[in-house]
Amino acid sequence: MLKFVIRRLISMIITLFLITTVTFFLMMNLPGDPFGEMSQKMSAAQRAVLYQQYGLDKPMFQQYLQYMGNVLKGDLGVSFQYPNTSVNEKIAQSFPASLELGLWALLIAVVIGLLLGIIAALNHNRGLDYAAMFTAVVGVSIPSMVLGPLLSYYVGVKLGWFPPGLWDTPKHRVLPAIALGFSTVAILARLMRTSMLDVLNQDYIKTAKAKGLSQTSTVIKHTIRNAILPVITVLGPIFVNVITGTLIVEQIFSVPGLGKHFVQSIQTKDITMIGGLTIFYSAILVVVIFLTDILYGLVDPRIRLAKGRK
Amino acid sequence: MMQLKKELFAPVKRDLDQERIVRPSLNYWQDAWRRLKKNKLAMTGLIILILLTLFAIFAPFISSYDYATQDYDVTNQKPSLEHLFGTDQFGRDLWVRIWWGTRISLFIGLAAAVIDLIVGVLYGGISGYLGGRVDNIMQRASEIVYSIPFLLVTILLIMYLEPGISTIIIAYSITGWVPMARLVRGQVLQMKEQEYVLAARTLGAKPLRIILKHLIPNALGIIVVQITFVVPNAIFVEAFLSFIGLGIKPPLASLGSLVSDGAQTMRFYPHQMLLPTAVFSLILLSFNLLGDGLRDALDPKMRK
Amino acid sequence: MSEKKQPTKILDVKDLKVSFKTYAGEIQAVRGVSFDLYKGEVLAIVGESGCGKSVTAQTIMRLVPSPPSFIKEGSITFDNKSDITKLSERAMEKIRGSEMGMIFQDPMTSLNPTMTIGKQIAEGLIKHQGLNKEQAAERSVEMLRLVGISNPEGRIKQYPHELSGGMRQRIMIAIALACSPKLLIADEPTTALDVTIQAQIIELMQKLQEKTETAIILITHDLGVVADMAQRVVVMYAGKIVEEGSVDDIFYNPKHPYTWGLLKSVPRLDLEHKSDLVPIPGTPPDLFAPPKGCAFAARCPYAMDICLQQDPDKFEVTNQHKAACWLLHPDAPAVEPPVGKGGKVHA
Repeated sequence: MLKFVIRRLISMIITLFLITTVTFFLMMNLPGDPFGEMSQKMSAAQRAVLYQQYGLDKPMFQQYLQYMGNVLKGDLGVSFQYPNTSVNEKIAQSFPASLELGLWALLIAVVIGLLLGIIAALNHNRGLDYAAMFTAVVGVSIPSMVLGPLLSYYVGVKLGWFPPGLWDTPKHRVLPAIALGFSTVAILARLMRTSMLDVLNQDYIKTAKAKGLSQTSTVIKHTIRNAILPVITVLGPIFVNVITGTLIVEQIFSVPGLGKHFVQSIQTKDITMIGGLTIFYSAILVVVIFLTDILYGLVDPRIRLAKGRK
Repeated sequence: MMQLKKELFAPVKRDLDQERIVRPSLNYWQDAWRRLKKNKLAMTGLIILILLTLFAIFAPFISSYDYATQDYDVTNQKPSLEHLFGTDQFGRDLWVRIWWGTRISLFIGLAAAVIDLIVGVLYGGISGYLGGRVDNIMQRASEIVYSIPFLLVTILLIMYLEPGISTIIIAYSITGWVPMARLVRGQVLQMKEQEYVLAARTLGAKPLRIILKHLIPNALGIIVVQITFVVPNAIFVEAFLSFIGLGIKPPLASLGSLVSDGAQTMRFYPHQMLLPTAVFSLILLSFNLLGDGLRDALDPKMRK
Repeated sequence: MSEKKQPTKILDVKDLKVSFKTYAGEIQAVRGVSFDLYKGEVLAIVGESGCGKSVTAQTIMRLVPSPPSFIKEGSITFDNKSDITKLSERAMEKIRGSEMGMIFQDPMTSLNPTMTIGKQIAEGLIKHQGLNKEQAAERSVEMLRLVGISNPEGRIKQYPHELSGGMRQRIMIAIALACSPKLLIADEPTTALDVTIQAQIIELMQKLQEKTETAIILITHDLGVVADMAQRVVVMYAGKIVEEGSVDDIFYNPKHPYTWGLLKSVPRLDLEHKSDLVPIPGTPPDLFAPPKGCAFAARCPYAMDICLQQDPDKFEVTNQHKAACWLLHPDAPAVEPPVGKGGKVHA
């Protein structure tokens, strides 16, 4: 187990290093002036001062070292567009909303998705199974960029059940969270169903039945417990999906989250902001995947107790 | 006991091999096709896809409008005989734009499938077939590529290159192939150890022959299934990028950009949102239904 | 053996028919099987894979998933009380594990990989005997000691993957016997094990059987195991019983050509002269459409016209030795069996 953790940790660090490096060089080589239109209105002297201020006058390699050093210290730099705002400030200010939105969506997805999958598997090849799986496949086909506007307009504006946008009260959370979590529900439901069916075909389920355990306790103690294991492994990638999904959902519902700023900085070509946020997002995603791997190891005794390799 | 004739107790004369095969034997693909045909949802998906593809190819030719010409006399019209799907805020015919968009979305999906077939299958196949150290290194490399969030790389890349169809395809080819490679590698590893492959190798078959004759035909099932999930995913990625302003540049349209534009105006002109949305979701739905059906049909474990 | 003074009948299976529904129609896996079993007795059911022996055994515990399977006809009377085929699922739960236990073929897959051994043994005890967790854990330790596992206190905290195949099969036996059932069904208990381990498991089962007087149905295709453990034998072919009798009847005076074939295909060290192993040519019939006549006729070297036309009834050799074969009809030509008295093979 310890070896497993260390191996994953090393590959995580390599990944983060690569992402930061690639991001830096892509940023620095972007075509056009980093300050955009602002730069054209300045005199050569002013521009030189500005370049010096951002360290852009130094050789590329030195800039790279400095940038990496700052990132290591947790400093992601200052916005090119708004020289008074640092990337860190932006994150501190707007990431909590994004995180909350993502967690709500994830909660909805996990609870409903697993339930749907379990119900479908227990009614394999019967009406409820077909119904649940049809719902799931429809769910995958309605991504948040489609569902979001529809919910906002029909449920939010026309029916008026929930606010169609913004992020003030708990009620404001409902529609964005549903829009973001919906397709994940479908993914998890299908996965859980497959995994359940797989476990239900295992010999040890027959053993459990032969012991005289009731259907309910066979399902709860033997089936679900084992069926959930492979689902845990995808929670990492699922979280990645949800977090990238916030970029879109925050746009649609005008949620003041980090995703919205990210999209804005892309549209205004605010290079340090894009770079900093890319690194920040990547770090979160890579760490979450690392954590779910560890979690999986802890839950599955076959990995937890394994000595030596793999 | 009833009376039996004595002649009945004479030994039978017979050919040695008179074993009758009662169940008609079907080969793998025939059997899969038989099961797929029985799956109504999958067949519906297949038919819808064929229809949509035909529309995407021919509908723009038949119409007298094109996707780019603006006509300020007919902005924001509802669907009518003149404009079957209405017009957008610049007076462009949505019927033509939507089918153009479908064409572009399907093209991106197709390109992703080709990339997956070439890069993913080869990478996975080589890694699995060679095994050992090479496999180990290739696995670590693909693991790292895979753990870099795909959409973020794409976003960075697209800022660097110019937004457009080819950029989206390039971005996809950098990271999109990894799941396919993993799948193929797993399958190849598993099959490599099987007796018939060992037998072929013992008999001196060359690696290329083993790969072509044994491994690829047997992995084809999962490759086909994976493709039906790769295509809608690539279409989705394009839509995602269009939504955050990094996709297809106007006046060209993709389903993603049409959905994105429609979302801005849906309060006043719902059809501008609903029509591209319907086609977009129908494509994703059909691919998913077909993919599910194929997976059930091609999975020999499900064979009853 | 069945000539005990007052044998208690544990199980009475009458004309059992079990089928599976599939896309192409109905597979008749078990086609009218009848046998009985007495307290303390070991009955072996032998036959090739797919002959319906496992389906028969699992139907007794109602473990065959339904659908696709269904009991078409027949009755299974357990312990002179209830007809198993008609019991509710809830009533079956009370019987399974407490009055009937089962051991499966593959110990590597028959234990839940994410639950400790102790918990898996304790489950049945908690359910059927109302023990609390501590009592059940204590009993589990006793059970492990009984099946010959060293350091049972440590073992109950381990997971299946930490144990060898033989040990896992011992655990399976402990689970099956935990509530002292009246009937133990062992479905190919040694097939998946190494030969040396097989012998240990057989020895263990014999020892426990003597101690507990549990009736055992032993499903196997290994005639060596049959000779070691069973008193009576039922030979199944294509979903039917073709011959039944005591171990001596089957080994020393077999009457059915299929039984001859089975005996010839087993290596034997006790024979005076070496003999070649003779496989039975051909494959069993497809149970989608079982043949009109005797199912074995197509592979039988002694087949007669009648065999292709009409399924033979059971002919009694003695009151407990029966075989379903037209060769036993008085009109049939006399055939010298290739395996015979004292197990000698006339080659």
